Amino acid sequence: MYAQLLTFGAAFLGSAVESVEALTIVLAVGLTRGWRAPLYGTLAALVLLGVLVTVFGQLIVTRVPELTLKLIIGTLLVLFGLRWLHKAVLRSAGVVAMHDEERAYAQTVTSLQGDTTGRRDWIGFTLALKGVFLEGLEVVFIVIAVGGTSGGLHIAVAGGLLAMIMVAAAGYIVKRPLARVPENTLKYAVGVILTSIGTFWAAEGMGAAWPLDFVSIGVLAALYFVASRAAIMVIRRPVAA
Amino acid sequence: MSVLRAAVDEVVGLFVGDWIQTFVSVGILGLGWLALSRLHILGLAFVLCIALAVQLVLATAAEARRTRKI
Repeated sequence: MYAQLLTFGAAFLGSAVESVEALTIVLAVGLTRGWRAPLYGTLAALVLLGVLVTVFGQLIVTRVPELTLKLIIGTLLVLFGLRWLHKAVLRSAGVVAMHDEERAYAQTVTSLQGDTTGRRDWIGFTLALKGVFLEGLEVVFIVIAVGGTSGGLHIAVAGGLLAMIMVAAAGYIVKRPLARVPENTLKYAVGVILTSIGTFWAAEGMGAAWPLDFVSIGVLAALYFVASRAAIMVIRRPVAA
Repeated sequence: MSVLRAAVDEVVGLFVGDWIQTFVSVGILGLGWLALSRLHILGLAFVLCIALAVQLVLATAAEARRTRKI
């Protein structure tokens, strides 16, 4: 139950963050150039992402031995999670600007101005396809990694899809970028969760055993959280002249 | 073609932000593999987590220093 909740939660949160970013691009294209082309682009990207999850998800679950799978996916999850955590630390410490959906929206709209829309709007189609596909790649990795290794691929897919549907519904209702979603905080949380799950599986793949099994992931998350707060404190500390 | 190239960049970018940090992380995991596959001590894997956490603190602090210098 604990493992399933963790799988669902990690996929849901990861997908929510990336879906908000993809929604900003689709909204910017749709509200500037009309909806037909960006919706087709989004649909095409979702089909491609679905194919990736199905093919790689099944391949990984059925072909790769369990310990090897844990070692490889665990290592990749550690690298992936640390990257998110690294960025979150720098943003929280004020070194890097916070991700701002309103600004991202405005930039996309500005880049589209001046382009005329023909009968077939390839620019709108390509922008939406590229935006959704590239943001979705991270979701595909999270879903396959957390779902494939824990044997709960369907749970991870459900978590990812639910977040995507909720973000799309919210975007449809407000017709603005979801700037109020605490994206940076979510990314920070997902970074901690994925790094912890990755460490857990990588170590199991190396032959280690964890005390209290899955509960150890909570301890790992606490350790990574404390380290990230320590990093923020170190960075914020005034430098002696 | 540009979509394909962007996708490849994106896939590499999923795991690599800073190459030095990535090499250090992989190095820690490699050493962890050597140790954990030989010494079957319960809880030893937490050392792996602590090493990666320390690496996070050092790498972010170093990047912050570099960014401030620019």
